[in-house]
Amino acid sequence: MAASLRERDVKLALVVDDSAMQCKVLSVLLKEEGYRVFTANDGARGVAMYIKYSPDLVLMDINMPIMNGYEAARKIKSLSQDNSLCPLIFITSMDSDKAFIESIDAGGDGILVRPFSPEVFKAKIKSIQRISDLYAQVKTLQQEQQNDAELAEQLMSGVIEARNFAIDRIGIIKKAAELFSGDIQLTALAPNGDINAMLGDFTGHGLRSSIGAIPLAETFRTMTKKGFSLFEIINQINHQLYDLLPTDLFLGAGFASISSHDGSVYLFNAGLPDVYLFSDKGVIKHKTSSSHPPLGVLPKLLPDSKLTVVGIEETDRVVLISDGIVEARNEQGEMFDFDRFEESVKQGILEKNVSGVVLQSVDDFCQKMPQEDDISLIDIPCGGWEQAIVTNQGVENFSAQQLNDISLSTESAWHWQLTLSGSRLAAINPIPMAMSQINEIEGNAEHWQSLYTILTELFVNALDHGVLGLSSELKGSAEGFSQYYLERERRLKNLIDGSVELQISHYPFPNGGRIIIKIKDSGQGFDIKKYFQNKAEKSDEASMLSGRGIVLVEQLCDSLDFQGNGNIVEVSYVWTI
Amino acid sequence: MSVNKKISDDNNKVEISVTGRFDFSLHQHFRDSYTSCKGKNVDFVLNLSETTYMDSSALGMILLLKDHAESCSGKVVISKPSESVNKILEIAQFHRLLTIEK
Repeated sequence: MAASLRERDVKLALVVDDSAMQCKVLSVLLKEEGYRVFTANDGARGVAMYIKYSPDLVLMDINMPIMNGYEAARKIKSLSQDNSLCPLIFITSMDSDKAFIESIDAGGDGILVRPFSPEVFKAKIKSIQRISDLYAQVKTLQQEQQNDAELAEQLMSGVIEARNFAIDRIGIIKKAAELFSGDIQLTALAPNGDINAMLGDFTGHGLRSSIGAIPLAETFRTMTKKGFSLFEIINQINHQLYDLLPTDLFLGAGFASISSHDGSVYLFNAGLPDVYLFSDKGVIKHKTSSSHPPLGVLPKLLPDSKLTVVGIEETDRVVLISDGIVEARNEQGEMFDFDRFEESVKQGILEKNVSGVVLQSVDDFCQKMPQEDDISLIDIPCGGWEQAIVTNQGVENFSAQQLNDISLSTESAWHWQLTLSGSRLAAINPIPMAMSQINEIEGNAEHWQSLYTILTELFVNALDHGVLGLSSELKGSAEGFSQYYLERERRLKNLIDGSVELQISHYPFPNGGRIIIKIKDSGQGFDIKKYFQNKAEKSDEASMLSGRGIVLVEQLCDSLDFQGNGNIVEVSYVWTI
Repeated sequence: MSVNKKISDDNNKVEISVTGRFDFSLHQHFRDSYTSCKGKNVDFVLNLSETTYMDSSALGMILLLKDHAESCSGKVVISKPSESVNKILEIAQFHRLLTIEK
């Protein structure tokens, strides 16, 4: 560091004085202090010499021909706005308040009134050089800080935004008040095709407020990818931020998990403005208000915390915002507020460009007022995500006979089994465990996404319809929808006995393998005969009975079979490379 | 904007009031207003009736005050928040963390 501050070994001084005698005297004194000295006899020449040599120190007389000292000083100071403060001292015999004040006004860093002793002169030079060194140090540090901040910002946006899912379909506004935004927007795809999105607002803004962003993004992505439920993800993020961040730093956050095939969205709001669900006409269908303190404040989520579940149409949109938008102010001090925001989203939906229209409206409203807080929004379409699931094409390459041969002739390479009962069944999601087993043994691969969907659907069916005895017909209406989830929650809480058994076996063959999943629940089962009869007749009733989940599983598997009283389901899933 | 402190005669109650904007610029003042009150069972009343605006760093500062109060076995009560401040407390669900007297 010291090297860059002192690029030159010898310091240069410039003496500007119309008296050759004075120039000589000052030069001698400066040389004794180790300076190399240049002299000029009028202000204009002084400025020219300054440009030519960029000295470390300037001594300036006041009364000179052509250009006086004040004017020369102004010129020099206007030229030296870069990283170095070139100290300028006026040397004069005018011992008046006026001379002193004018010297400083003209940009002088000090004034020395003649007569003075060589000792006083040298002391003055030392003191001014000390200040100049400090100034250079501060400037260098500032520059380094700026460089570091820019680098960190690049890394941060590389880690965070660049890895977001479906940035072509999900609209995001991110307009930081400073180099670093305290707001963070994350989107990720779950193995079953659900879209998880999060908009977070860390306390304050700038670098300090973004330190939590990287661990947060990692947790959100990794857990989503592994198939943890949104609630489990939120729980973990809260815990992690509580551990990592100081007391006064926390995260207001809104979460949405859109499940296209289930026709529902799960929402959670901890300290953000309302989370919205809009129709394709821009009508507000639902708002989820904050129901929890920001994340990272409490060691655990409050015991009564739960997600809000809302039924969705394919054409609906979920919109998350931080308070920066609604609190943006115009010159009159008015806030943009919710009415204008909702209107601009409506307009945006009609123009099929929510983020663009909203951002434009905020800009138009604020005009040239400086932005006080980070402005951010996420706009997610509720439909069109089906292609996100990898459908099973492996099976089409095999005839039924070949498939049979494979499973008969091969020993299972491994078998994994887990039985959950009672309160553990109510509290634990076994799917991530199962998936992590598969990933650990067989490696991570795209086609496990379908397997995840199959496992999830079958497990949820076994738990909801088998163990808890809930009827999926309830979910038919919007009212029934929330009723269903309330009832589910109530029954889960009171679950004492009841169990679900999960078995997975893998039969590998060259370039692929077959996975057999068997799930058995302790429930009553259902009339299998009637189910298949209805299904064969392709009556409407059959599609009612089977539900969307089973249809999806059937699409993904090469066989699906109910056994026992209908309380056992066995599916076969074939994958190839 | 300013931070004012009033200590009761028996030294058991400290009332801190914030006037005007309550944001990061008050950080040091706000901290100074309570760090010297270290007695046992001291209760802190945070009067926000004259507070016109509050941002998230102010919420963080309140949590720091809460930590301090708890470390000397006391508690924090937020008193008479103005309407705009109350809206922010509500979004942050602060009534679930400490007492808010309207």
